[in-house]
Amino acid sequence: MSEKKGRGSRKSDRPAAAVAAELKEKRDAFLQSFFKRGAELSDELMEENRRLREQMGRIEAENTELKTQLASDRAIRDLLKKIDHLEREKSRLLSTVSEQEEITGQISGRFAQVESDLESFANLYVASFQLHLSLRLRTVLRHIKELLQQLVGARSLAIYFADEDGRRLVPIASEGVELASVAPVLLHDGAAGDPVSAVIERTFLTAVPHITDGPVASVPAACIPLQIEERTVGAIVVFDLLAQKAQFVTVDRELFKLLGAHAGATLVAAYLYTSGDGRLPAPEALRSLVG
Amino acid sequence: MSAPPYSCLVVEDSPMMRQLLVLALSRVKNLRVTEADDGVDGLRKLAGGKFDIIITDINMPIMDGLKLVKRVRTDPTHKDVPIIIITTEGSSEDRKRALELGANAYITKPIQAPQVIAKVKELLKIEG
Repeated sequence: MSEKKGRGSRKSDRPAAAVAAELKEKRDAFLQSFFKRGAELSDELMEENRRLREQMGRIEAENTELKTQLASDRAIRDLLKKIDHLEREKSRLLSTVSEQEEITGQISGRFAQVESDLESFANLYVASFQLHLSLRLRTVLRHIKELLQQLVGARSLAIYFADEDGRRLVPIASEGVELASVAPVLLHDGAAGDPVSAVIERTFLTAVPHITDGPVASVPAACIPLQIEERTVGAIVVFDLLAQKAQFVTVDRELFKLLGAHAGATLVAAYLYTSGDGRLPAPEALRSLVG
Repeated sequence: MSAPPYSCLVVEDSPMMRQLLVLALSRVKNLRVTEADDGVDGLRKLAGGKFDIIITDINMPIMDGLKLVKRVRTDPTHKDVPIIIITTEGSSEDRKRALELGANAYITKPIQAPQVIAKVKELLKIEG
């Protein structure tokens, strides 16, 4: 208590003005320090604020970038979907094209077949028309030869007719080869002199046509029996073909069938008509034969 | 509206060949066919009408195909008409001569309908 008093007494010993000045000085120092610290804090806060703004800017930029990327990813996903869809569409179209090509191929094949049939019918129509156009023997023979030349492409040919007792086939007309040089073919002797005669004899006796398959390289190219009903009365022999005609085609075989079935009867009818000088049978004569 | 018809003159002495050609040509749309027996008959038919194409055989009586080609090429009305000649295998000289005289194409016997149709369409510039 006494010390306190003692110090108090020392303080009190200083002049009040000095104390006040000291206090003021301290206050000013404090305030100066306080404001300085405040200014520093402000600076720090501003700096922090700036950093935060920068950070926020970066984050916003990143966010924008991410958003863009996300949008880009979506676009890619959409594109992938579209590509997948287009791939499926492409596969479907390719499949359709393939089917269409197959159908086109079938139609082309059918068209070619129809073309071939049309040509066949046209040739057969013309052949039949010309074969029965006349009953003059000379004209009938000319027509048969012309059919073989113009439609089949025969270079040389001969038409044979069997003699009365059926012992030999005698050539009655030829084209591309002199008739005088075409020898008769003996029948039933079983030993034809040459390969050509052998083919003709066999064709006549069996009534089975000989038509070369594939490229024609041997003589005769074809030999067709001439039949009236079931009876074989002669043969048409195509020795060889024109150079541009390498082999027989379907329509040729059809024409041979037509000639084999009709030419014999036409020749006989033409012979009777020509030898009768075109005289027609009386109706009574016709009736007597069918009555 | 259909296309204007084309007119074709077939000059051929063989009735069978004529018939074959006419049948084949009947498959060409809008093609009207006139037939002539030989070169002279052909010229007669040409004088009486206008033709867009001529098909002629080479070997014919009275006037052959070569003479006909020559006459057609000097005829002001038909000098530009395409001509197809029909030849046989061994007539390469005739074929050459006909082409020199102004024929446009040739067909070799035995004739085939598709070949005739194709050649006519080609020369008349018919599609399909």
